[in-house]
Amino acid sequence: MGLEKFDPTLAGHDLVQDLKWDPALRAEFKDNERAVLDRYPLRPEERRAIEERDFRTLYDIGFHPYLGGQLSRFIYGNDAARGALIANKKLIASLTGQK
Amino acid sequence: MAEIVFAAGIPHAPAIVGLFDKATPEQQKVVRHTYAGLSGGLRRARPDLIIAFANDHMTNSRIIAYPDFLIGMAAEHTGPHEWFKPWIGCRDYVVKGSPEAAEVLFRGMSRRGVRMFGSRQPLKFDDNISVPSVLLELDTLGVPLVPVMQNCTVPPFPDQHRCYEVGQKLSDLIRHDFPAEMRVALIGSGGLSHEPGGARYLFIDEAFDRWFIDLCVAADHKRMLRELTIEKMEAAGSGGTAELLAWVVVMGAIGEKPGQSFGYAICSDFRCGIGAVAWNLAA
Repeated sequence: MGLEKFDPTLAGHDLVQDLKWDPALRAEFKDNERAVLDRYPLRPEERRAIEERDFRTLYDIGFHPYLGGQLSRFIYGNDAARGALIANKKLIASLTGQK
Repeated sequence: MAEIVFAAGIPHAPAIVGLFDKATPEQQKVVRHTYAGLSGGLRRARPDLIIAFANDHMTNSRIIAYPDFLIGMAAEHTGPHEWFKPWIGCRDYVVKGSPEAAEVLFRGMSRRGVRMFGSRQPLKFDDNISVPSVLLELDTLGVPLVPVMQNCTVPPFPDQHRCYEVGQKLSDLIRHDFPAEMRVALIGSGGLSHEPGGARYLFIDEAFDRWFIDLCVAADHKRMLRELTIEKMEAAGSGGTAELLAWVVVMGAIGEKPGQSFGYAICSDFRCGIGAVAWNLAA
């Protein structure tokens, strides 16, 4: 699994970029993820994969893995010693079919 | 004529700051030795300007309008960008920039056929610039920094041949466009093997890392350009390892010079192989 399926047109990439750049959007994503997702022209399968934390499917439809890793940190945690480690494990579990 | 007085390839894995305590004493020793050696070498070189090429990591631009090279033209560079602070775990820093040198770089590379982009607004930095800035203490050095954020992750991105060519043109620019007597330090920030966000997130390709360091030390650039393909780097960690192309820019600028390694550390908590090379420009 690499970059061979990468699709630069997925709107989910913009979502991740905006979450990085906008603390208010990040807070809203935590409180009301659906409202945030509604504002992005996500493809149905792309949105479903985000909602179901299904990174395997997300990557299969062309999501960039680097931004996928960051998406996992928005969801599960971003601090080096704890949250990010949980995010890593959750991400790997999804990608390797362990969940 | 301006000259390159320091050149190094430097790792920037965030965990070597934020998870440093998770490493064994031996691994910590390698990290300390690496950055002490690089910092000492940089200071002994007495540069007037530092130009650092580093993987942008999609930190500054949208993926649908992504520059291969983005020059930081601001008068001051600060970091880390707020979202990355808990991820990196490093202190804040402020490094002065050089809008004048950045303009010379932008103009000169454009005239030499390299399409770069520039930002007069401060760029956002994650570990790419933040880790070298903090561990080399660039904020206390008093030397202006011009960061060049490189596309090493959004396909298609410049391969080893193009990056080497960019480095050669950079060398010509430094010698002919910068003020005479200017002393320039070049840093390629990135590596070694890692696969951020991938199924092999915790995988480190030790064999590749040791091969690559040996390659940099040996100064056989024909072999490097033949063997250090994007495919090989992707196999050693997709979406991450190819940021070693920032080192290739530096090697293109200095030509075939032997390098000095500071050792190698492999620690799964770092999620990245750790090693650096400083090149002997007097050789």
